[in-house]
This record gives sequence, structure tokens and C-alpha cells, in this order.
Amino acid sequence: MRTTLSMHHIARIEGHGNISLSIEDGRVSDVKMNVVEPARLFESMVGGRPFTQTSYIASRICGICSSSHVITDLLAIEQIFGVKTSERTRVLRELLVYGSFLQNHAAHLFVFAAPDFEGLDSAFPLAESAPELFNGGMAIKALGNELCTLVGGRSIHPITCVVGGFTHEPSRDDCLAMADKVAAAREFCEKTVDVFAGFKVPQIETSGDFMALVENGRYCVVGDTAAFASDGARFVAADYADHIEEYAVDHSAARFSRRASTKKNITTSALARVNLSWNELSQPARLAAAKAGLRPPARNPFLNNVAQAVELVDVCVRCEAMLRWLAFGEGTSKPVDFEVRAGRGVGMTEAPRGTLIHELEIGEDGRVKHASIITPTVHNLGDTESSVRTLADLLAEQGASEEEIRLEVGKLVRAYDPCLSCSVH
Amino acid sequence: MECQTKRNATPRVVVLGLASCFGCQLQITNAESHLLEILGQIDVQYWQMASSAPEPEGDVDVVIIEGAVSTVESREIVERWRKRAKCLIAMGACAVCGGIPSIAAHHLDERAKSVYGDALPSACGEMLVPQPVSSVVDVDFEVRACPIDPADFVAVMQHAIYGSNATVQTGTLCGSCKRNESGCLWREGKVCLGLVTQEGCGAKCVQLGRECNGCRGLSANANLSAARAFAESTSVGAARFDEALELFNLVNPMLSSISEGEE
Repeated sequence: MRTTLSMHHIARIEGHGNISLSIEDGRVSDVKMNVVEPARLFESMVGGRPFTQTSYIASRICGICSSSHVITDLLAIEQIFGVKTSERTRVLRELLVYGSFLQNHAAHLFVFAAPDFEGLDSAFPLAESAPELFNGGMAIKALGNELCTLVGGRSIHPITCVVGGFTHEPSRDDCLAMADKVAAAREFCEKTVDVFAGFKVPQIETSGDFMALVENGRYCVVGDTAAFASDGARFVAADYADHIEEYAVDHSAARFSRRASTKKNITTSALARVNLSWNELSQPARLAAAKAGLRPPARNPFLNNVAQAVELVDVCVRCEAMLRWLAFGEGTSKPVDFEVRAGRGVGMTEAPRGTLIHELEIGEDGRVKHASIITPTVHNLGDTESSVRTLADLLAEQGASEEEIRLEVGKLVRAYDPCLSCSVH
Repeated sequence: MECQTKRNATPRVVVLGLASCFGCQLQITNAESHLLEILGQIDVQYWQMASSAPEPEGDVDVVIIEGAVSTVESREIVERWRKRAKCLIAMGACAVCGGIPSIAAHHLDERAKSVYGDALPSACGEMLVPQPVSSVVDVDFEVRACPIDPADFVAVMQHAIYGSNATVQTGTLCGSCKRNESGCLWREGKVCLGLVTQEGCGAKCVQLGRECNGCRGLSANANLSAARAFAESTSVGAARFDEALELFNLVNPMLSSISEGEE
């Protein structure tokens, strides 16, 4: 007997996607993650235009990780022009990335994922049934917006972040006030880890190869080296194309990516970062994770929810320290002078949902000749299909109803926190 | 404007996302401290980003559309919802003036080829030149900018649901800078589009040292030919001014009607 389950427009994710699942005689025979975004053609849109517009355009790939797209572009451009930025600029950029972690993880956990575990269509009824959780979650999301606004000028699509530095810096008093706020938010984030660890999830394991940026002695979100968890292999941004290959499939407007040497699916996310940079997590974050039973290597994709909560704790600790450093530290983030020159550069950052890569080639006239962008969700699509298969097989074997399979598959797709609008860029 | 529902009936609202970054939908949720008050006054019947409740049957009072129309399918969605809604709100630069997606308007086929090769996945749909919602159906209200300001969204919703005799601002951004006493970025050789862009954001970017790039669209009062002549009289030149204007307004109907008027 053959059943086809199709799930049209998976809700509570960014972007438009369907899942179609065929089950024959109790086994899954086919899974397709059908990304149905209109083609957006960003790589061609930055082409031919001056480098000054690149990050402004690419920012619009995604509302929630706009800061990451901007910074990744700037890193690529600065590599080409040989621009050396100050430590202050680096710290401000990290704060901007972390601001988007707070926004993204809070939106994902409380608005997108939490209703799944409370049996609700949306988060809004939580305001009455679980006000502490809802209000606390909204407060974390608002805190992320506030941090992005402090550094970038507004909650999304930052204004101040340019090649060489920042056009505006927050005042000392504002930094200190913000440091107090993020410090005060930690306690709720620690509770959030426990709340999400307490939700019952199916026991499955991903077969994907975890990938994340790494750096000795630092939980790396802005850097130049990435690693795979399966064999510890590392590569630098400029060589990314030797390690990651993209391929097109007809059922998706987004391309898929895989590890070039093994042809295995890649998985990149908060969970990948926690697995690969476990030792670099701040002590309170590691403690919260360990208490919740999350220890590397954690291979259940549903645990990405818990890993995001762990990162919220980490972000609070880290941002407090960075904001205090900014308040009393020396130096400037004023854009440094540079000369336009031709060349190729690759920027790589950890966006909230995983490793983001922007490759740019710029001509002597300062115009972009070629651009290639790989977003975290592109890495994750193959692994999402594969994990959906694993989960549906397990549920079919247990004799679950179609409705149950549908519900659990929706939860799993959401646990990957896909950004389908990003993936079709 | 026939947007108001019968008194005492909760307005039925639908939020749709076309080709976009979803940022303006996020900005609605970014009104955190007021979000529940807003949601308490409306009945959100369909919002794929925030709820798994299925698409409803029948008519609604307000449909809010984010994103540019860039496929035949999305044009049909817009046409279908126009018929079902008493009131339609275009939200964000993509929906209001084509915005960033419209940069792809010229040489669309070549661009698709450069990204996907010869085999465009069928999942992309049937592509159209990206255009604002108003070029497909009548739009009752606009929430401008990229991204929208949540406060603007609240004001427009209030207007749509309860009515208001407040007029829409139509001046250019330059006036905001005068009131801010913030000086002029043209003196630093920056191509600031405040000369022709609709005011209302408080010139936030200029306040932070960054030139206006026109995300609120052209002001009805914009004197485009004077602005171009001014650009030409500086070291910037009219060509760079025009290129900057393409960022958000390449297919803005106002821009083409102004240039047609000049010819």
C-alpha cells in the first residue's frame, strides 16, 4: 500500500516550503523538501554594482539574519582590499551578530517552536496559558532588537556597518545600560534551556556531518576557519569551494549543498556549534547544557531547540563582557581608509542558523564581477530530508496515524529552524 | 474608504508574504510591547509565518501583503485576495515600490541563467519582472520603508480599521534633516537620496552617518529633474545619482512616470 502525505506551506518558519512524503508498505520510499520561493537572484543583483551597495542589497536576503549577511559581505570585501579593521570594530560586529542570535533564537523558540509542544497553532494563546514563558520570550526577542538597534541603528537591516568600520558608535552610558540588561536576562535564558529540554521529542539521530566555524580559545561566530565534526577536518574561508559543493534539484528553488569529499549531508546550526565548540562555551552556558543533558556529540536534530537556548545563555554572558569592554576600552571603530583594488574574497560567519558564506570577485572599477552565496539552510536541506525520512520510518513502524506523522514532521522541520527565503537568495 | 468593518465586529485579517526577506512580517512581531494589544483588536485568520491555522474560506476585512510580485503564481495570489478583502495594505518597500527585488528587473532571463544555469527549477514558478503590488491591484494603504517601522504599521492599521483623517506625509527627507539640524551628507560627497525620498523616518540613516538610499520611495513632491541637475553640478554627477536611485526604485511607477513626463 502506498500513501503520499503532502504538507503544503509548512507554518511557523521563514519562507515557503512543502514536504511530500511517500510511504509504501510501512516504509518511507521518498521524501522531498519542496522549497517554493520565487527565484530571487541576489547573486546576479549585486553583480555589476559598486561594492558600496553590495552589503546593502545582500542584507535583504533575510530579515532575521540581515546583520550576518552584511558582515559576511564586508569581510569578503575587506579581504580583497586588504583592509585591517580595529579590535573595536570586531567587537561591535560580534555584538551585532549576537543581537541577531537573540532575535532569531527567541523568535524561533517562542513564536515558532513552543506552540508545537503546547499543542497550539500559534504562540499568541501562550500569553494567557503560559504568560511567564510568553512574556519572557518576547522580552528576549525585544532585547535582541534593542542590541541590534544600539549597534546597527535599527532592529534589522543595520545602517552603521560599512567597509572598514562603523559610521556611528553607541555611547558609553548606553553600552553600560545594555550590559546590565543582558546580564539580567541570563536567568530567564537558563530557565528556557530547562523548559525546552523538558519537551518530549522522538529519539532519532541525524546522519549529517556537523559543520561550524571554530577558533582556539573562542566561541567563534566571526572568523575564517570552519571544521567538520566527523573527522575534525578544517578549512579556511578562501578554500570553501574545495570542501562544500552545491547542487540543484528540480523540486526546490533553493540549491542543496553537501561535503565535497564524502558527498555526505552537512548539518549546521546552534547544535553544530555547541557540538564543535563545546569547550569554548562560557561556563554558565556549558553548565546549563550539561544539566539539561545536552553533551557533545548530540545527534538528535530536535536538540537544536535546546542548543539555541544554551546559546541564549552564552550570548548574555559574552555580550555583557563585550559591552563593558566597549564602554571602557580604547580605540575607535571609525572606518579605516582603504584603496579599491581587484580580487577575490570569501567571508564566512556563523549566522544564527549556521555557517554563512559569501564569495565576491571585484573588478578594478570597484564593481562586483561575480558573487556566490551559500546560506545555512542550503547546507541543511539535504539533512532535513534525510532526518524526515528517519523520523517517518520510525513513526510508521510504530503504527502512527497520518495526522501524527504530519505533526511530528512539522516539528522536526521547524527544529532545523529553516529560513527558506534565505535559501532562495 | 470602505475598509471599516461593521461596528463591534472584530476585523478579520490575513498576512501574506511574497518574494521578500520576511523582515517586515518580523517587524510586526517586533512591536513586542504592543503586540498583544494589536492582536487583541483583530482576528488574524491566516499568517503562515506565525501560525499553522490553515488558509480560511470566504472574505476578510484586511489583507496585508509583504513582498514584490515576481511570479505568475504570486500575481494570482494578490488578485485572489484583492477580491476577498475589503481593504488591502502593501507593507514594506518591496510591496510598495518594487524595492530590492526589482533590481533584477532588467535582463531577468540572463540573471536567472547566471544563477541556475539552463535548468530553472520548476519550484521557482513562472517568473515575472518584479513589481509593486499596486501595479497588479488597487492598494488602499501603504506602510513604507525597508524595513517598516512597527510604529508606522500600527498607525496604518489604526487608519484601516478605525478610520482617520490624518493626511499621509508627502514631503522629502531633506526637510527632516533641516529640522534635525544634522547637516548635509552631500558636503561629504555622499549620494544621499533625501532630496527626492518621502519623509517620515526622521532621517534615521543620515543621523547615523549613512546616506539615504530611498527605501521609502519617491515623495509625491519630489523634483527629480532639479535633484539630478544638482547632482550633475557636484563631483557626484547625475549618473551616480540615478544608479543610487535604482536600489529601491528601479520599477517604481512614479519614477517612470516622471521620466516619461520629461521626455
